[in-house]
Amino acid sequence: MSEKILLIDDEVDFLSAMSERMKARDMQVTTASSAKEGLEKVAAGSFDAVILDLAMPEMDGIETLKILKEKNPDLQVILLTGHATIKQGIEAMKLGAMDLLEKPADINALTEKIKTAQAKKMLIVEKKNEEMIRKIMATKGW
Amino acid sequence: MTAQYDGIGGSGLQFFGKVSASISHELKNVLAIINENAGLLEDLTVAARRGSPIDPDRLDRTVRNFTKQIHRADEILKNMNRFAHSVDQFECRVDLHDLVVLVANLAARKAAMGRILLETTAPAQPIQFTGNPFLLENLVWLCLELAIASTSAGRTVTLIPEKTASATLLHITGMDGLGEKLPLQNDAGLEAVCAALGAGMATDPAGNTLTLRLG
Repeated sequence: MSEKILLIDDEVDFLSAMSERMKARDMQVTTASSAKEGLEKVAAGSFDAVILDLAMPEMDGIETLKILKEKNPDLQVILLTGHATIKQGIEAMKLGAMDLLEKPADINALTEKIKTAQAKKMLIVEKKNEEMIRKIMATKGW
Repeated sequence: MTAQYDGIGGSGLQFFGKVSASISHELKNVLAIINENAGLLEDLTVAARRGSPIDPDRLDRTVRNFTKQIHRADEILKNMNRFAHSVDQFECRVDLHDLVVLVANLAARKAAMGRILLETTAPAQPIQFTGNPFLLENLVWLCLELAIASTSAGRTVTLIPEKTASATLLHITGMDGLGEKLPLQNDAGLEAVCAALGAGMATDPAGNTLTLRLG
Protein backbone atom coordinates (compact mmCIF):
# COMPACT_ATOMS: atom_id res chain seq x y z
CA MET A 1 0.00 0.00 0.00
CA SER A 2 1.44 3.37 -0.98
CA GLU A 3 2.21 5.79 1.83
CA LYS A 4 0.33 9.11 2.03
CA ILE A 5 2.78 11.86 2.89
CA LEU A 6 2.45 15.56 3.59
CA LEU A 7 5.68 17.49 3.04
CA ILE A 8 5.84 20.95 4.72
CA ASP A 9 8.82 23.20 3.89
CA ASP A 10 9.14 26.87 2.92
CA GLU A 11 11.90 26.06 0.39
CA VAL A 12 9.81 25.54 -2.75
CA ASP A 13 12.71 24.09 -4.78
CA PHE A 14 13.29 21.53 -2.01
CA LEU A 15 9.59 20.64 -1.97
CA SER A 16 9.41 20.03 -5.73
CA ALA A 17 12.56 17.87 -5.92
CA MET A 18 11.80 15.88 -2.77
CA SER A 19 8.16 15.26 -3.73
CA GLU A 20 9.18 14.09 -7.20
CA ARG A 21 11.62 11.60 -5.67
CA MET A 22 9.01 10.34 -3.22
CA LYS A 23 6.44 9.94 -6.00
CA ALA A 24 9.03 7.90 -7.93
CA ARG A 25 9.04 5.61 -4.88
CA ASP A 26 5.26 5.10 -5.19
CA MET A 27 4.30 7.45 -2.38
CA GLN A 28 1.30 9.76 -2.58
CA VAL A 29 2.75 13.18 -1.81
CA THR A 30 0.99 16.43 -0.93
CA THR A 31 3.08 19.57 -0.37
CA ALA A 32 2.66 22.76 1.66
CA SER A 33 5.05 25.73 1.58
CA SER A 34 4.00 27.17 4.95
CA ALA A 35 2.95 25.91 8.35
CA LYS A 36 -0.49 27.48 7.89
CA GLU A 37 -1.04 25.68 4.57
CA GLY A 38 0.24 22.45 6.15
CA LEU A 39 -2.22 22.70 9.05
CA GLU A 40 -5.08 23.28 6.57
CA LYS A 41 -4.06 20.21 4.54
CA VAL A 42 -3.82 18.02 7.65
CA ALA A 43 -7.31 19.16 8.66
CA ALA A 44 -8.65 18.30 5.20
CA GLY A 45 -7.00 14.92 4.64
CA SER A 46 -5.51 11.82 6.20
CA PHE A 47 -1.76 11.17 6.09
CA ASP A 48 0.49 8.29 7.15
CA ALA A 49 3.27 10.77 7.94
CA VAL A 50 3.99 14.47 7.93
CA ILE A 51 7.54 15.57 7.06
CA LEU A 52 7.97 18.97 8.68
CA ASP A 53 10.75 21.56 8.35
CA LEU A 54 11.86 22.88 11.73
CA ALA A 55 12.70 26.46 10.64
CA MET A 56 9.94 28.23 8.75
CA PRO A 57 8.78 31.85 8.56
CA GLU A 58 6.13 33.06 11.01
CA MET A 59 5.38 29.67 12.58
CA ASP A 60 8.32 27.35 13.19
CA GLY A 61 8.28 23.55 13.15
CA ILE A 62 8.06 23.13 16.94
CA GLU A 63 5.00 25.38 17.13
CA THR A 64 3.44 23.60 14.15
CA LEU A 65 4.20 20.20 15.71
CA LYS A 66 2.49 21.30 18.93
CA ILE A 67 -0.71 22.25 17.05
CA LEU A 68 -0.62 19.10 14.89
CA LYS A 69 -0.29 16.83 17.93
CA GLU A 70 -2.98 18.70 19.88
CA LYS A 71 -5.44 18.23 17.02
CA ASN A 72 -4.33 14.73 16.06
CA PRO A 73 -2.22 12.92 18.70
CA ASP A 74 -1.86 9.84 16.48
CA LEU A 75 -0.28 11.75 13.60
CA GLN A 76 3.26 10.56 12.78
CA VAL A 77 5.52 13.58 12.35
CA ILE A 78 9.13 13.44 11.14
CA LEU A 79 11.06 16.69 11.54
CA LEU A 80 13.65 17.83 9.00
CA THR A 81 16.15 20.46 9.99
CA GLY A 82 19.27 22.23 8.78
CA HIS A 83 20.79 22.24 12.25
CA ALA A 84 19.05 20.75 15.22
CA THR A 85 20.28 21.60 18.67
CA ILE A 86 20.01 18.88 21.32
CA LYS A 87 17.48 21.11 23.10
CA GLN A 88 15.29 21.30 19.98
CA GLY A 89 15.57 17.54 19.45
CA ILE A 90 14.49 16.79 23.01
CA GLU A 91 11.63 19.30 22.78
CA ALA A 92 10.44 17.75 19.50
CA MET A 93 10.50 14.22 20.97
CA LYS A 94 8.68 15.38 24.10
CA LEU A 95 5.99 16.88 21.88
CA GLY A 96 5.56 13.52 20.18
CA ALA A 97 7.65 13.78 17.01
CA MET A 98 8.44 10.33 15.63
CA ASP A 99 11.95 11.29 14.53
CA LEU A 100 14.24 14.14 13.58
CA LEU A 101 16.49 14.07 10.51
CA GLU A 102 19.17 16.54 9.54
CA LYS A 103 19.26 18.14 6.06
CA PRO A 104 20.51 17.10 3.59
CA ALA A 105 18.64 13.89 4.32
CA ASP A 106 19.29 10.49 2.79
CA ILE A 107 16.16 9.47 0.83
CA ASN A 108 16.61 5.81 1.82
CA ALA A 109 16.79 6.67 5.53
CA LEU A 110 13.75 8.92 5.15
CA THR A 111 11.84 6.22 3.23
CA GLU A 112 12.56 3.74 6.05
CA LYS A 113 11.24 6.21 8.63
CA ILE A 114 8.12 6.81 6.52
CA LYS A 115 7.49 3.06 6.35
CA THR A 116 7.89 2.85 10.14
CA ALA A 117 5.46 5.76 10.50
CA GLN A 118 2.90 4.02 8.29
CA ALA A 119 3.26 0.77 10.27
CA LYS A 120 2.80 2.69 13.55
CA LYS A 121 -0.28 4.42 12.18
CA MET A 122 -1.78 1.10 11.02
CA LEU A 123 -1.14 -0.36 14.45
CA ILE A 124 -2.92 2.56 16.11
CA VAL A 125 -5.89 2.25 13.70
CA GLU A 126 -6.09 -1.52 14.31
CA LYS A 127 -6.00 -0.99 18.08
CA LYS A 128 -8.76 1.60 17.85
CA ASN A 129 -10.88 -0.72 15.69
CA GLU A 130 -10.39 -3.57 18.17
CA GLU A 131 -11.45 -1.33 21.05
CA MET A 132 -14.50 -0.21 19.12
CA ILE A 133 -15.51 -3.81 18.34
CA ARG A 134 -14.97 -4.79 21.99
CA LYS A 135 -17.17 -1.87 23.07
CA ILE A 136 -19.91 -2.83 20.62
CA MET A 137 -19.72 -6.48 21.72
CA ALA A 138 -19.99 -5.44 25.37
CA THR A 139 -22.96 -3.13 24.85
CA LYS A 140 -24.97 -5.30 22.41
CA GLY A 141 -26.51 -8.49 23.68
CA TRP A 142 -25.34 -10.81 20.83
CA MET B 1 43.15 48.88 20.08
CA THR B 2 41.33 45.72 21.15
CA ALA B 3 39.96 47.87 23.99
CA GLN B 4 37.22 48.80 21.48
CA TYR B 5 36.07 45.18 21.57
CA ASP B 6 36.61 44.76 25.33
CA GLY B 7 34.21 47.65 25.88
CA ILE B 8 31.30 45.91 24.17
CA GLY B 9 31.56 42.78 26.32
CA GLY B 10 30.05 39.64 24.82
CA SER B 11 27.97 41.54 22.27
CA GLY B 12 30.52 41.34 19.44
CA LEU B 13 31.09 37.62 19.91
CA GLN B 14 27.34 36.98 20.08
CA PHE B 15 26.91 38.95 16.86
CA PHE B 16 29.62 36.88 15.15
CA GLY B 17 28.03 33.65 16.42
CA LYS B 18 24.51 34.57 15.33
CA VAL B 19 25.64 35.55 11.83
CA SER B 20 27.70 32.33 11.51
CA ALA B 21 24.77 30.18 12.67
CA SER B 22 22.38 31.89 10.24
CA ILE B 23 24.80 31.43 7.33
CA SER B 24 25.42 27.76 8.11
CA HIS B 25 21.66 27.17 8.33
CA GLU B 26 21.09 28.81 4.96
CA LEU B 27 23.91 26.79 3.38
CA LYS B 28 22.36 23.60 4.76
CA ASN B 29 19.14 24.49 2.95
CA VAL B 30 21.09 25.04 -0.27
CA LEU B 31 22.85 21.68 0.17
CA ALA B 32 19.51 19.97 0.82
CA ILE B 33 18.13 21.25 -2.50
CA ILE B 34 21.33 20.26 -4.36
CA ASN B 35 21.16 16.85 -2.67
CA GLU B 36 17.56 16.24 -3.81
CA ASN B 37 18.32 17.38 -7.37
CA ALA B 38 21.38 15.10 -7.48
CA GLY B 39 19.09 12.34 -6.24
CA LEU B 40 16.62 13.13 -9.01
CA LEU B 41 19.38 12.70 -11.60
CA GLU B 42 20.28 9.39 -9.96
CA ASP B 43 16.63 8.28 -10.13
CA LEU B 44 16.44 9.30 -13.82
CA THR B 45 19.66 7.38 -14.54
CA VAL B 46 18.31 4.23 -12.87
CA ALA B 47 15.05 4.59 -14.82
CA ALA B 48 16.98 5.09 -18.10
CA ARG B 49 19.03 1.93 -17.46
CA ARG B 50 15.74 0.07 -17.14
CA GLY B 51 14.68 1.40 -20.54
CA SER B 52 12.60 4.50 -19.65
CA PRO B 53 13.27 7.46 -21.96
CA ILE B 54 14.86 10.54 -20.37
CA ASP B 55 12.85 13.74 -20.72
CA PRO B 56 15.33 16.50 -21.77
CA ASP B 57 13.08 19.17 -20.17
CA ARG B 58 13.30 17.32 -16.86
CA LEU B 59 17.11 17.29 -17.11
CA ASP B 60 17.11 20.99 -18.03
CA ARG B 61 14.98 21.88 -14.98
CA THR B 62 17.34 19.97 -12.71
CA VAL B 63 20.43 21.67 -14.19
CA ARG B 64 18.76 25.09 -13.75
CA ASN B 65 18.04 24.21 -10.11
CA PHE B 66 21.73 23.39 -9.59
CA THR B 67 22.79 26.69 -11.16
CA LYS B 68 20.27 28.66 -9.06
CA GLN B 69 21.49 27.10 -5.81
CA ILE B 70 25.15 27.56 -6.74
CA HIS B 71 24.51 31.30 -7.30
CA ARG B 72 22.62 31.45 -4.01
CA ALA B 73 25.47 29.77 -2.11
CA ASP B 74 28.00 32.03 -3.85
CA GLU B 75 26.13 35.16 -2.67
CA ILE B 76 25.91 33.80 0.89
CA LEU B 77 29.64 33.02 0.93
CA LYS B 78 30.60 36.42 -0.58
CA ASN B 79 28.69 38.12 2.25
CA MET B 80 30.27 35.81 4.80
CA ASN B 81 33.73 36.58 3.45
CA ARG B 82 33.16 40.35 3.53
CA PHE B 83 31.79 40.06 7.06
CA ALA B 84 34.74 37.94 8.24
CA HIS B 85 37.20 40.52 6.84
CA SER B 86 35.48 43.38 8.66
CA VAL B 87 37.61 42.60 11.73
CA ASP B 88 40.84 43.04 9.73
CA GLN B 89 41.15 46.73 10.57
CA PHE B 90 40.15 48.56 13.70
CA GLU B 91 39.61 51.76 11.76
CA CYS B 92 39.08 52.41 8.07
CA ARG B 93 36.90 54.31 5.60
CA VAL B 94 33.89 52.37 4.41
CA ASP B 95 30.97 53.19 2.14
CA LEU B 96 28.03 53.41 4.55
CA HIS B 97 25.46 52.15 2.04
CA ASP B 98 27.63 49.12 1.14
CA LEU B 99 27.98 48.26 4.82
CA VAL B 100 24.24 48.64 5.43
CA VAL B 101 23.44 46.41 2.42
CA LEU B 102 25.83 43.76 3.79
CA VAL B 103 24.20 43.76 7.25
CA ALA B 104 20.71 43.72 5.68
CA ASN B 105 21.76 40.68 3.61
CA LEU B 106 23.16 38.95 6.70
CA ALA B 107 19.90 39.63 8.58
CA ALA B 108 17.61 38.73 5.65
CA ARG B 109 16.97 35.16 6.84
CA LYS B 110 16.18 36.32 10.38
CA ALA B 111 13.80 38.94 8.93
CA ALA B 112 12.18 36.36 6.63
CA MET B 113 11.49 34.15 9.67
CA GLY B 114 9.36 37.01 11.02
CA ARG B 115 7.93 37.66 7.51
CA ILE B 116 9.59 41.08 7.42
CA LEU B 117 11.24 42.47 4.31
CA LEU B 118 14.46 44.47 4.65
CA GLU B 119 15.19 47.16 2.07
CA THR B 120 17.96 49.69 1.67
CA THR B 121 17.90 53.06 -0.06
CA ALA B 122 21.11 54.25 -1.69
CA PRO B 123 22.04 57.90 -1.08
CA ALA B 124 22.40 60.23 -4.07
CA GLN B 125 26.11 60.62 -3.27
CA PRO B 126 28.27 57.95 -1.59
CA ILE B 127 28.60 58.49 2.17
CA GLN B 128 31.90 57.54 3.75
CA PHE B 129 32.15 56.43 7.37
CA THR B 130 35.48 56.37 9.17
CA GLY B 131 35.62 54.06 12.16
CA ASN B 132 35.53 50.41 13.15
CA PRO B 133 33.48 48.57 10.49
CA PHE B 134 32.80 45.54 12.69
CA LEU B 135 31.39 47.71 15.47
CA LEU B 136 29.18 49.59 13.01
CA GLU B 137 27.93 46.29 11.55
CA ASN B 138 27.22 45.12 15.10
CA LEU B 139 25.25 48.30 15.84
CA VAL B 140 23.16 48.02 12.64
CA TRP B 141 22.55 44.30 13.36
CA LEU B 142 21.35 45.03 16.91
CA CYS B 143 18.98 47.70 15.56
CA LEU B 144 17.67 45.26 12.95
CA GLU B 145 17.16 42.58 15.64
CA LEU B 146 15.12 45.14 17.54
CA ALA B 147 13.17 46.11 14.39
CA ILE B 148 12.43 42.47 13.50
CA ALA B 149 11.28 41.67 17.04
CA SER B 150 9.00 44.69 17.36
CA THR B 151 7.56 44.97 13.83
CA SER B 152 4.43 43.16 12.62
CA ALA B 153 4.68 40.41 9.99
CA GLY B 154 4.23 41.59 6.42
CA ARG B 155 5.88 44.98 6.99
CA THR B 156 8.96 46.41 5.25
CA VAL B 157 11.83 47.90 7.26
CA THR B 158 13.99 50.29 5.22
CA LEU B 159 17.52 51.45 5.99
CA ILE B 160 18.34 54.93 4.67
CA PRO B 161 21.82 56.46 5.05
CA GLU B 162 21.94 60.26 5.03
CA LYS B 163 24.69 62.88 5.22
CA THR B 164 23.76 66.28 6.60
CA ALA B 165 26.01 69.31 7.08
CA SER B 166 26.70 68.28 10.65
CA ALA B 167 26.23 64.52 10.88
CA THR B 168 26.19 61.10 9.25
CA LEU B 169 22.85 59.43 9.92
CA LEU B 170 21.24 56.05 9.35
CA HIS B 171 17.43 56.03 9.45
CA ILE B 172 15.66 52.72 10.04
CA THR B 173 12.04 53.26 9.04
CA GLY B 174 8.91 51.10 9.17
CA MET B 175 9.55 49.96 12.75
CA ASP B 176 6.63 49.23 15.08
CA GLY B 177 6.66 49.59 18.86
CA LEU B 178 8.83 52.70 19.09
CA GLY B 179 8.32 54.99 22.06
CA GLU B 180 10.35 57.87 23.35
CA LYS B 181 12.65 55.15 24.63
CA LEU B 182 13.64 52.04 22.71
CA PRO B 183 11.88 48.70 23.46
CA LEU B 184 15.30 47.25 24.23
CA GLN B 185 15.96 43.54 24.51
CA ASN B 186 19.73 43.73 24.65
CA ASP B 187 20.08 47.29 25.90
CA ALA B 188 23.47 46.75 27.54
CA GLY B 189 24.88 45.49 24.23
CA LEU B 190 23.32 48.26 22.18
CA GLU B 191 24.46 50.98 24.57
CA ALA B 192 27.97 49.53 24.77
CA VAL B 193 28.34 49.35 20.97
CA CYS B 194 26.95 52.89 20.62
CA ALA B 195 29.44 54.12 23.24
CA ALA B 196 32.37 52.33 21.57
CA LEU B 197 31.49 53.99 18.25
CA GLY B 198 30.60 57.36 19.77
CA ALA B 199 27.18 56.98 18.15
CA GLY B 200 23.78 58.18 19.36
CA MET B 201 20.21 57.01 18.84
CA ALA B 202 16.96 58.92 18.51
CA THR B 203 13.42 57.65 17.99
CA ASP B 204 10.55 59.18 16.04
CA PRO B 205 7.54 57.08 17.14
CA ALA B 206 5.10 58.96 14.85
CA GLY B 207 7.32 58.31 11.84
CA ASN B 208 8.12 54.71 12.92
CA THR B 209 11.78 55.61 12.60
CA LEU B 210 14.91 54.95 14.61
CA THR B 211 17.84 57.16 13.66
CA LEU B 212 21.48 56.40 14.38
CA ARG B 213 23.78 59.41 14.56
CA LEU B 214 27.20 58.14 13.55
CA GLY B 215 29.23 61.29 14.11
